[in-house]
Amino acid sequence: MNRLVPFLLLALACLSSLPARSQELVLTLSTREVAITSTYTGADVTAFGFIERDVRSVTRAAPFEIIATVQGPVGDIVVHKKGQLGPIWLTAARERFARIPTYFALLSARPVGEMVTDETAQRLKLSLTDYLPPLDTLPVPEQAEQAEFRQALLRLRQEEGALVIDPKAITMVRPNLFTARVNVPGKAPVGLYVINVSVVSEGVVLRTSQTGFVVRKVGFDAAVADAAKNRAPLYALATVLVAVLLGWVANFAFRRD
Amino acid sequence: MQIYLPIAELPLNLFLLLGMGAAVGFIAGLFGVGGGFLLTPFLIFIGVPAPVAVATSSVHIAASSVTGALTYWRRQALDVRLGAVLIAGGVLGAFLGVIFFNQMRQLGFLDLIITLSYVTLLMSIGCLMFVESIGSMIEKRVQRGKPVPPVPPPPERAWHQRFPLHVHFVRSKLNTSVIPVVTLGTVIGFVGAVLGIGGGFLVVPALIYLFRIPTNVVVGTSLLQILMTMIVAIFLHATISQAVDIILGLVLVVGGVIGAQFGVRTGQTLKGEQFRLLLAMLILAVGVRFAFEVVGRPLDPFVISAVEVER
Repeated sequence: MNRLVPFLLLALACLSSLPARSQELVLTLSTREVAITSTYTGADVTAFGFIERDVRSVTRAAPFEIIATVQGPVGDIVVHKKGQLGPIWLTAARERFARIPTYFALLSARPVGEMVTDETAQRLKLSLTDYLPPLDTLPVPEQAEQAEFRQALLRLRQEEGALVIDPKAITMVRPNLFTARVNVPGKAPVGLYVINVSVVSEGVVLRTSQTGFVVRKVGFDAAVADAAKNRAPLYALATVLVAVLLGWVANFAFRRD
Repeated sequence: MQIYLPIAELPLNLFLLLGMGAAVGFIAGLFGVGGGFLLTPFLIFIGVPAPVAVATSSVHIAASSVTGALTYWRRQALDVRLGAVLIAGGVLGAFLGVIFFNQMRQLGFLDLIITLSYVTLLMSIGCLMFVESIGSMIEKRVQRGKPVPPVPPPPERAWHQRFPLHVHFVRSKLNTSVIPVVTLGTVIGFVGAVLGIGGGFLVVPALIYLFRIPTNVVVGTSLLQILMTMIVAIFLHATISQAVDIILGLVLVVGGVIGAQFGVRTGQTLKGEQFRLLLAMLILAVGVRFAFEVVGRPLDPFVISAVEVER
């Protein structure tokens, strides 16, 4: 992981320098790196944004609105569905959702459904299921079950806090200045978090920019994770020693006879 | 106070973990069982990913069995020779178990087999022990005051003595063939590897009922066997699945070794039938819990069973 960081930061730099269009959107973050230490319980990252009006662009009467999404590292999520087999309930069907964000947040100042049409929402990938193949590309008999599985995925991920829909996370400080609050839960995975910010006015997307941050283990926790991965036999030996020594010490400390 | 676990990759409450370790350690010391069948579900329940929960439980079990085994060793209530024979069988059984585990996973029967064997094993052993211990308690009550009837002479040859290769287990007051003992070890190792448990709750009743070994020797010997099995398990889990969390293990162990001390002490004050009745009730309770999981309509038919982040 540590060796990856320079590349991730480089990737971030590239993401932020997309060519300019009529509305300039300048983004900056309160931090580029969330460091995981022994007392880590999650972190708050704030994105600050400034919308710069181009003189040549059409002057709009309607105010700017902001929609932001945060995508954590991609991974596979397996959902099981229980079914009845005689008197008992067991896993009857399973669905693997491959390569979707393992953390996803949709941030706005009011419900996104009121701001843009469904087509726009789908184009901006405002739902976790937009990272899956569209339902209508699947064989017809599978569609109903897939839809059911996808609904369960969204519901369960939201219950776990790995899918956040927060229509109060964005604050317009000035008509062209805003903040977006991103809460990284303690159990969110380590890796790269990409933030996509779109400027919307009267349902029209004017500009989309990207930024991001890295969540990684540092210090002792990084050393432990590294040892577990790259020096597994030594790590195993250390673990056995810890167990046996502590057991022995306890026996010694508590003996009465 | 929250502490971040670097392999489980989530923060959890330190005191909750210490308390859980202590509670399971107490039961482990009391009954000579590893307590894996209690700790692993506990850890999964509070959010630890299943592979990490299974792998790290073995650290806790190893530590509490060291403490317990040493205490029984000093009280001369541990049969090293019997333990060694059981372990020899156990290694073979664990090897076969791992092969079976992977075969069943490929065929997609693993869930079914694990759940059904848990329920069947726990319920049947629990019921048998429960009935037997209540029976012997009533018998004692009835016999109180009456002259003690002459103990029937032991049969000439018990079933397990009919095999060749006899060995004398001094501590266990047992003279038997090694074949049934190795077979028992193999079965325990096999079941342990498939279900991810130490197998103490199988060893203890088997030695008490099948081989008629005194209860206090059984517990110490079972702890020794569990310790060896768990050391092998830690190595396998740390190298193959890389799911052992040393920090989580350390916290659980600190709670566990303290709990185990009190468990062993309490265990020494219990009478044989009381001991068997309590263990039977514990095993039954866990069995009922597993049965509830599969019987009756689940609250939510959908569950997220795995989240695998790409690295």
